[in-house]
Amino acid sequence: MQRLAAAVETAARRALGRADALMNRLYGWRYNPLYHSGAVVVALLVVLLVTGIYLLFFYRLGAPYASVAALTAQPWSGRWVRGLHRYASDAAVVATLVHALRVYAQGRRWGPRTLAWVTGLILLFVVFVSGWTGYVMVWDVQAQVLATEGARLLDVLPIFSEPISRAFVGERPIPGAFFFLNLFAHIAFPIGLGLVVWLHVSRVARPGLLPPRGLMWGVIGLLTVLSVAWPVTMGPAADLFRLPGPAPFDVFYAFWLPLVRPLPAGVAWGLFTLIALALVLIPVWTKPAAALRPAPSAVDENLCSGCEQCYLDCPYEAITMIGRPGGTAEGRSALVAHVNPARCVSCGICAGSCAPMGVGPPGRTGRDQLSAARAFVAAQRPDERGVVVIACDRGAGEITGPGAVETARSPVYAVTCVGNLHTSVVEYLVRAGWRGVLIVSCPPRDCWSREGPKWLEQRLYHEREAELQERVDRRRVRLVHAGAAERGVVVAAIAQFRAEIATLAASPGEAEPDLARECEVEEAGR
Amino acid sequence: MTARALRVVIGSALALASAAALAALSALPYAAEPADQAVIRLAWRARGERVRACRRLTPAELAKLPPHMRQEEVCERRVLPYRLRVTIDGASVVDELVRAGGAREDRPLFVFRDLAVAPGPHRLEVMFEREEDGGGRAEREREEDERADARQTPRRLALDQPVTLATRRIVLVTYDDEGKRLRLLAAPGGGS
Repeated sequence: MQRLAAAVETAARRALGRADALMNRLYGWRYNPLYHSGAVVVALLVVLLVTGIYLLFFYRLGAPYASVAALTAQPWSGRWVRGLHRYASDAAVVATLVHALRVYAQGRRWGPRTLAWVTGLILLFVVFVSGWTGYVMVWDVQAQVLATEGARLLDVLPIFSEPISRAFVGERPIPGAFFFLNLFAHIAFPIGLGLVVWLHVSRVARPGLLPPRGLMWGVIGLLTVLSVAWPVTMGPAADLFRLPGPAPFDVFYAFWLPLVRPLPAGVAWGLFTLIALALVLIPVWTKPAAALRPAPSAVDENLCSGCEQCYLDCPYEAITMIGRPGGTAEGRSALVAHVNPARCVSCGICAGSCAPMGVGPPGRTGRDQLSAARAFVAAQRPDERGVVVIACDRGAGEITGPGAVETARSPVYAVTCVGNLHTSVVEYLVRAGWRGVLIVSCPPRDCWSREGPKWLEQRLYHEREAELQERVDRRRVRLVHAGAAERGVVVAAIAQFRAEIATLAASPGEAEPDLARECEVEEAGR
Repeated sequence: MTARALRVVIGSALALASAAALAALSALPYAAEPADQAVIRLAWRARGERVRACRRLTPAELAKLPPHMRQEEVCERRVLPYRLRVTIDGASVVDELVRAGGAREDRPLFVFRDLAVAPGPHRLEVMFEREEDGGGRAEREREEDERADARQTPRRLALDQPVTLATRRIVLVTYDDEGKRLRLLAAPGGGS
């Protein structure tokens, strides 16, 4: 099962990588809608809320079809507002699916992220049910089919005293209570969305709920233009004495009809239950084997200075500051960082944030990184120290993969996330004699660890702890972003950087820069 | 045209194409039912005869119950099932037992069946008859509630008449509670 999950993950990652590369090229990574799919959904939900309130003023329970038809006939407002409401609901489904696919492809679905995965599925279900009830409100042919099919499915559940299908046999007019209940559900479900969205992002710090303004208004503007240029239509009015003929159906909310209608209701429920269970249990059945799971961060309390930087930087609120066990003897800080393993996803961003290198996942703390960097330098020929590439092994044009050195024509130093990278490693490489250090990260909104490139950029250029020391010539350090399928971007960046640093004097190069010792000296001086 | 302008043009075209695809998929033509079909719909609610089966508990069974629940006689109420038989043009298309709703079969009976037929004239015979045996309980008593008896659906309902259905039309066979009979309902021009 895990092999299948891995194969699906790889295929999804490749497909998304190519789509990302295209979008980055056309719109730039800042406005790539695929990177912001989750936030786009929230923006669309806001649009749905605003347009829905407007539409509510015109909807009449006693004459659903006639009232929607009258609204659709309003050329100046009703038609396009209804169109925007509908297209936004369709776009919300698309964006939700893209978001789910991205989360799946990036393996962000198990362990501490299980809650976000499961609540995301609940959100998708709520969006779907809201759309379903919304279409029933119109009471055209599509509404009739959705309502009768829904009633058929619900009637096999032992929860209603009388079959709901009785309301749609045509013996008597549809009871007004039905339209009232449907409208109530259409409003109540989205209200519940707020709570689920809160749960969905409850385990991340600084959730980006809305996309960048340019993208947000671009999407809303595009849908508005669409609703004016391509007005939504209605099917013929529902007629319970007539079999539904050809009519426009919304694929995003009615895709299941051709699949489910031929099935007995019990079988349909069985299939739905199986699919729902499979999706909900994805965090369980695709969880890597224990040996392959990265260990959560740990704190070396002897090194922790209580500065709170790791607590501030952690994208998952997995770190809290607690009173130092044993008190503050020997001039130590009163607080010490504490990692909650149940929340830690082992992104290693805390390792990059810690000046005294006292926190991080096992094997990836600042000190471990310096050891690895020392071994890396020792393995390189001392007379070929032009550009060294530090690259995230999840994106960055997959430059850390096979054939990387040949492609880059530079040695490549792989990191699990650039947010994990301690700036001391950068300094070490420069002081070891490299003419330039090019760091290639994933585009900031596509970071698997959420905030890696953002924090690294601030550590390199804006003195955020643990900052790159002033003594390092910034001309020799460059940060660029590239997605997994953007190797060309990386190669071009290397070539450009190589040309630029060619004019700089060769880095003096120290035989054995010992940054670990310097850190200890700094720490002792605090 | 500069590379940037080209990107803007292609980016705009892609956005518009995506929006157009969204709109097209938002209103895709779909026929939920075949074009050359009509339907005879059987749909009604019936109050069947309520019966109860009583038995005396053994001393051992009584001893297991809490003192305040020790009734010597326990009764289970239920509604007798009906057999539904439908014949169209002389061919039997339905012959099934319709049981009352609810886990204890003590709710009303509901009939809901859609029978697809070719448009045109047909001979329709419907029989809805109480199954007196009802599962062969040894001891059975009629409900004593006279009012309930008055509201009960007759032991036997029958409909035998020609119907003519237009394409895509539905003719409804339902139960007239006041007239205590099955009747046909159709929209004007949809069938007779």
